[in-house]
Amino acid sequence: MRSPAPVRTFGGLKLSFAESPWLHIGWRNLGRNRKRTVLTALGLAVGFFAVVFIVGWSQGIMVEMVENATSLVNGQIEIHAADYRPERSLYDTIGGRAGTDVDALLRTIDADPSVVAAAPRVYAGGLISTGQATLAGMFMGIDPERELTLSRFLDPLVEGRMPEPGRNELLIGEEMARQLSARLDDELVVVASGADGSMANDLFTLVGVFRTGLAELDGSFAVMPLGDLQTLLVLAPSRIHEIAVATTDPWIAETTAAGLDDVLSSSDRAIEIVPWTTLNPAMVDYVALGEAMYFLIIIVVFSIAIFGVANTMVMATYERRREFAVMLALGATPRAVGTVVLHEAVALGVVSLVLGAVMTFPLMVWFHTAPPDMSWAIGDVTIMGALLSPSLRVEYDVPFWIVSAMALFVTTILASLLPAWRAARVPPADTLSGL
Amino acid sequence: MSDPQRPGLLRPTVFVAALVLFASVSPARGQTDPRDIIERIDRLLRGDSSRALATMEVVTEHWERQMTMEIWSLGTDYTLVRLRAPAKEAGTATLMAKDNIWNYLPKVDRTIKIPSSMMGGAWMGSHFTNDDLVQESQMIDVYDVAVAFDGERDGVMVWELRLTPKPEAAVVWGHLEFLVRQDDHVPLWAKYYDEDGELARTMEYSEFREFGGRLVPAVMNMQPADKPGERTTIRYEELEFDIDVDPSFFSLRTLQRGR
Repeated sequence: MRSPAPVRTFGGLKLSFAESPWLHIGWRNLGRNRKRTVLTALGLAVGFFAVVFIVGWSQGIMVEMVENATSLVNGQIEIHAADYRPERSLYDTIGGRAGTDVDALLRTIDADPSVVAAAPRVYAGGLISTGQATLAGMFMGIDPERELTLSRFLDPLVEGRMPEPGRNELLIGEEMARQLSARLDDELVVVASGADGSMANDLFTLVGVFRTGLAELDGSFAVMPLGDLQTLLVLAPSRIHEIAVATTDPWIAETTAAGLDDVLSSSDRAIEIVPWTTLNPAMVDYVALGEAMYFLIIIVVFSIAIFGVANTMVMATYERRREFAVMLALGATPRAVGTVVLHEAVALGVVSLVLGAVMTFPLMVWFHTAPPDMSWAIGDVTIMGALLSPSLRVEYDVPFWIVSAMALFVTTILASLLPAWRAARVPPADTLSGL
Repeated sequence: MSDPQRPGLLRPTVFVAALVLFASVSPARGQTDPRDIIERIDRLLRGDSSRALATMEVVTEHWERQMTMEIWSLGTDYTLVRLRAPAKEAGTATLMAKDNIWNYLPKVDRTIKIPSSMMGGAWMGSHFTNDDLVQESQMIDVYDVAVAFDGERDGVMVWELRLTPKPEAAVVWGHLEFLVRQDDHVPLWAKYYDEDGELARTMEYSEFREFGGRLVPAVMNMQPADKPGERTTIRYEELEFDIDVDPSFFSLRTLQRGR
């Protein structure tokens, strides 16, 4: 731009920025009224900032929502006996009544390269009591070591430590602990229907309290080592209800599930491998809806900006009617005059984009790496069963930034189409004669 | 006892069932007002006390088990049930006083009050719910009674009574049907329908025997309609009425004493 190619004919139409005299002229025209140019460019830059930042924040919420829905407790994929869902009966263990070789199954799942972690689980409903207070609860039997690699809700604990297998130790949620007025080292009575029909009951020692932030879980879940729960329920060690699987990325869960299905279904187990997208289709729809909204945001923001830019360009070209008349009188084609105006718009777009980038990216980096904690203003928010922390974390989305930048240029060009057309149609003789 | 997957169904008791049995006491022949029949059942039970030894056989898709239990009752407010067998669970006891239920668990030597959210849960793994065990109102107060059928069926003169909840009644059933034998007012079966009018479960009464001078069906068989092949059968081995017991017997102390 600094060293324009020699001006040839006014009629030539060159779009190559490096050589184009038009862009050079457009750039210099912007300098005629710097204040006006800067204000217009600032308008566009703020539009760019708004679009990128709002969408980045919205994506941050989506990512956290999916992340929490799939890694706080559940895992991205759940493996069950084929008929386990939706009743989730105590008897529908993987492999049926005979159970399955849990270790071999876990080894097979671990072998998949897209699997980060896999953990076996046993579930049963029942009662949990301190003697004074009794609550209905859901008991979750876990392999403590494997569970910590898969879900996040047990690390860190609010207080206490993880239960050790074989010692009848358990964890309960913070809300349950509050309702039971239970403290660490209290003995809790656990009652459930055993698989043999007996009223299974035993004493467990409370060794820790967890918090997910999800009221339903914190108020009703009790977590204990798998073997202890199986013993209580009179279930053989080979009988588990679920293997939860974590994948490297929530959005490959479907592919991984299909891959695991190929490997695991070859055996005679009737199992169901369900990715979170199937378990929580509403959330998938929600994310898709959000993505559709992003483009709506672009359209709305730049639709507002387009009038500001058009106003500036109309003013700028009206002032220069005499200049255009001279160009036309000297033999420039109307098309060449229009091109000058359009290039001025492109140059304005470049200035705006630079301003917008300077404004946006430092804030994006800040809000991405160290999002401000808003917990002083709002508490935890739960959307579709997923917990959201009250922070303003933004996500990076380079393709979206490029789309936004293109939208900015489209805005400036659209806004200058009318002024360019009018500039090209200036009547030279009338204008120069002072009319 | 605490399977949350089992839907909460019923109000009338096992022992209401038992109550219904007691209906048979000294029928007034020629009495055909259905309200009187039902009312007498309730009135007879109020203030009535009993002690029974019964077996309960539970058959489900997954297991079968048999329990022997001793049952004390006083009116409709108080009942105490203590398991005598199987050995593993002997001593386990349930106390029902008014609307509350406590379970005593000898293995851990603790007593647990059943939270109200679990009143719909199965009692001792059977097809009865905890709710079935606590009956606070008289049936006559809760249901409108009508004779749906009066005549001969299978060679026996019977009434079929239809009990429809009064509008303000807090009951889980859509309506109940009782089949009552006319000559001795013995109930033959009771059917429980949900709010959609679908049959939910059927209680059958059979093997009528004299216990303490009263004609009582010694066997009650409960079948859930949605689980064919499953049933809970209670069989009275011993049953005596008007025993010497007062409300103080139905205490947490007695529950934990584990006689």
